[in-house]
Amino acid sequence: MVTALARIGDFGLFCVRVGRSTFRHRPPIARSIEEAYHIGFRSLPILLVISAFVGTNLALQGYNAFVPLGGQRLVGMFIALAGVRELAPIMVASMVAAKAGTEMASQIAVMRIQEQIDALEVMAIDPHWYLVVPRFVGICLVLPALTMISIFTLVLASYLVSVYQLGLNGPEFIQLASATTRPVDLWYCVLKAFAFGIVICLVSCYYGFTTRPGPSGVGRATNAAVVVSAVVCSLLNYVMSEILFG
Amino acid sequence: MTVREPPDPIIRMVDLHKRFGELVVLDGVTFGIPRGLTTVLLGPSGTGKSVLIKHIVGLLEPDSGEVWVDDVRVDTASVRQQYAVRKRFGMMFQNGALFDNLTAGENVEFPLRYHTSHNAAKRRKIAEEKLALVELPEVYDRPTSALSGGQRKRVSLARAIVLEPDVVLFDEPNSGLDPLTSSTVDALISRMKDQLGITFVVITHDIVQALAIGDWIGMLSGGELVEYGPREDFLKSESDVVRGFLARNHTV
Repeated sequence: MVTALARIGDFGLFCVRVGRSTFRHRPPIARSIEEAYHIGFRSLPILLVISAFVGTNLALQGYNAFVPLGGQRLVGMFIALAGVRELAPIMVASMVAAKAGTEMASQIAVMRIQEQIDALEVMAIDPHWYLVVPRFVGICLVLPALTMISIFTLVLASYLVSVYQLGLNGPEFIQLASATTRPVDLWYCVLKAFAFGIVICLVSCYYGFTTRPGPSGVGRATNAAVVVSAVVCSLLNYVMSEILFG
Repeated sequence: MTVREPPDPIIRMVDLHKRFGELVVLDGVTFGIPRGLTTVLLGPSGTGKSVLIKHIVGLLEPDSGEVWVDDVRVDTASVRQQYAVRKRFGMMFQNGALFDNLTAGENVEFPLRYHTSHNAAKRRKIAEEKLALVELPEVYDRPTSALSGGQRKRVSLARAIVLEPDVVLFDEPNSGLDPLTSSTVDALISRMKDQLGITFVVITHDIVQALAIGDWIGMLSGGELVEYGPREDFLKSESDVVRGFLARNHTV
């Protein structure tokens, strides 16, 4: 219990240092764009595939649930509620945590072990500014965009299955889905994506910075980064949905 | 225990204590590092040499005691002050600590990018000069993965001196090197001290290296500095620890 509290306190101090570094100096723009490109580009293919198949399955299961009640035409509404508001943001967050988050944690952990972070300190270059801030800016730029792409892919795939496989009415699907999804809901999804991006970046970089020596230390840091990011994002998703969507 | 005080110390440590959990690493270390000379801190592995050197640049905070670099007390300095002090230092790390995503030359010019307003051409020119100084003029565009252990250390040294610091710290410069490469590194350190006139602080467990390059030599054991002074005095030490260490290394 004491160790867990100490860890939380240490993480808090780490966040304060990152915050200070973010506002004390101008973020390294070129490196931030580079990070955004890497996070977005590397996560995109897998994200498209998974979003599409989550969309197809949501349509199938929604249809199966509504058929006994005679409400199969409500599949579009179901997709909008479950897919757009809930599944897409958390799915993108999980994917980015598993791909970009683990990469951040392992890269920084290796740099810690090889004394490259100490080298930055001795060169009077703030390692939080140099290593965390570009990743922070990059993930905050990219995660909302990835979430919007995921939402579009998920809805498109569920539309195709609903109309061409299940024989539902296309215009009615679109009408019910768009009636259920208000424009503000998409802004709420962007807000969720920002929050998840901040969590993933800070947690992953923190575990990288505080890794223990040796290859097992890197493995443990990487594992902890993805597990803690996923758990915190899931919890945050529930809290934010409760606050934003009621 | 004899610890001599140098006439014009650039760095001073006063009653430094550091422990990690139950393990006492530094137990009241007090000494000064003379300006413009090479100081070697000697001791077997695990005696806190690296811990000591990291206190100088504020990478570690002591549990108690003081660390001074000229008139600045490093251990209680603000982050801004610490960074100002660090700009006066260069450091060669045990494994080089080169950035793998950069070439050897880019590693050398890395500090210039953040601490000077030089353009890319000027930075490259300076980096090439420093690489020539460490006798590696041809490796600028080479990835760090293609460098040998000795070359990595020399590139790291070129990076350490690129901002022309007042003090360069060396963490085990000869570890992992064959005897021939080790003597090349020693010769390089001696030559650079004469050419650049800067203060070198070297920590090592290699007595041969200590005697080859050290103007002042100290011996750490059990968290204490058991002997410290000019090389001639060190060799005449009557400390059992020093005599034992010298004898084990077949030096006397």
